[in-house]
Amino acid sequence: MERYEIRLSGAGGQGLILSGIILAESIIRFTTKNAIQTQSYGPEARGGASKSEVIVSSGEIDYPKVRKPDLLLALTQEAYNKYNRELKEYGIIIVDENVYIAPRSGPTYSFPILKTAREKFGRDIFGSMISLGIVVGLVDLVSPADVEKVVIERVPRGTEETNRKAIYTGLELLEDLEKYEIQTEEEEEEK
Amino acid sequence: MTEKILMKGNEAIAEAGIRVGCRYFFGYPITPQNELPAYMSRRLPEVQGTFLQAESEVAAINMVYGAAGAGGRVMTSSSSPGISLKQEGISYLAGSELPCVIVNITRGGPGLGGIQPAQSDYFQATRGGGHGDYYTPVLAPQSVQEAVDLTMDAFDIADKYRNPVLVLGDGMIGQMMEPVEFKKEITPDQLPEKKWATNGAAGRKPNIINSLRLQPEKLEELNLKLQEKYMAMKKAEVRYETDNIEDAEYILVAFGTTARIVKSAADMAREVGMKVGIIRPITLFPFPEDVIAKASEKARFILTVEMSLGQMVEDVRLSAKGRCPVYFQGRTGGVVPKPGEILDNLKRLAGGGK
Repeated sequence: MERYEIRLSGAGGQGLILSGIILAESIIRFTTKNAIQTQSYGPEARGGASKSEVIVSSGEIDYPKVRKPDLLLALTQEAYNKYNRELKEYGIIIVDENVYIAPRSGPTYSFPILKTAREKFGRDIFGSMISLGIVVGLVDLVSPADVEKVVIERVPRGTEETNRKAIYTGLELLEDLEKYEIQTEEEEEEK
Repeated sequence: MTEKILMKGNEAIAEAGIRVGCRYFFGYPITPQNELPAYMSRRLPEVQGTFLQAESEVAAINMVYGAAGAGGRVMTSSSSPGISLKQEGISYLAGSELPCVIVNITRGGPGLGGIQPAQSDYFQATRGGGHGDYYTPVLAPQSVQEAVDLTMDAFDIADKYRNPVLVLGDGMIGQMMEPVEFKKEITPDQLPEKKWATNGAAGRKPNIINSLRLQPEKLEELNLKLQEKYMAMKKAEVRYETDNIEDAEYILVAFGTTARIVKSAADMAREVGMKVGIIRPITLFPFPEDVIAKASEKARFILTVEMSLGQMVEDVRLSAKGRCPVYFQGRTGGVVPKPGEILDNLKRLAGGGK
């Protein structure tokens, strides 16, 4: 497998750094692939737009930073604005429904991530695990069952069950994938 | 086989220390190495060790002096500006011949600089750093796994020579998470006794640990003894890695994070038919002079790449002794070079590719 780059972004404190760590750890433990995880640090990780990045490859990963993400997830407009430019031309974009997306030609999805987190689990922070479920379901890197094992180990004690459910909530959203796929203006004009 | 786990560089370095019997840590917070003392503060009490957050970097390094003098395996860590503050203490440790491990997760400078990765503390690290005629071995990991392995070795080298040893990482090594395994598990009671330590003189002549020698001849004697150690290190401790240098026309030299980037660039260059080899110094002191000297006899040129504006390149030039041109390419201030820009420069220097 060639190098695959994932960038999870949102506001500092939304929990996506942990999502990236869980994704990377489940890949190195339960598949034969290699993974590294990097993230914003210092003041950037505590507010504004911040990111958690995972690079996956079947070989050695030399260059340790994400250059052109294959997948960008953005939970806030600020994060989308800041991080969307370097995306691969036909890379996947996943955003929360509150994020406006500029016209583009790659696969683009807009899910009610934060709203679902609030309605189902009472808190925005579970949006990070819903996001992880969506990513795991959309990209075939590691099985949801293996991700679940790492979730149980990595999340704060007492929240295991809710976080586990949130992963599957993300996966359930994919059952109506067509509903959430958005056609941006450019493509509509082509038609 | 031990299971690989995903760990952040800073935390992995801390765990590596604990796995080879480090039971004392004194530090003061600074980004991008904070996870290292934070991890130690959680883990050391579990193994009956001592973690102390000092009032300053200066206090922390002098606590290291105390614990090293008493014979413990001891460690401190900081990042560039904090390492500058520790230099007086490091000089005292070297003068008193005390073993310890100092970790510098380098950030951009000068001054307070920034918090992103840099390699601009090379001069400070490899030339002793503080006052007086001394050196410390400097180990420069390029991955989280190597950070673990080298930290473990750093304690052995420190004890072997009774000398501080520096592990020189950068914000990238400290902050990224990679799979690691810990290949050793040594507890303090398995380590050889340090007969020189000041740990209670009941029943024996008191040991003295001191760097003060007011008589010039006595101080010269100490210095000559220290030089002998540095010569011995140059003979026994040089480490490096090479990649495809046998038939290389162009040699890239880089250490730490930059060496990984250079590897991507070299792969790209070979795809367009350029014969590129890599020399990666793992010890920065002692420096792998011989392998660079040998490569300089055949190479068309050497290109040194650093996250600074040119520091290690001086050692590369000293090693190449003018036998081939030695060029430099660097980014600084926390900017990490991209493989493409190294490839472009390689092509330009080689005269338009091929």
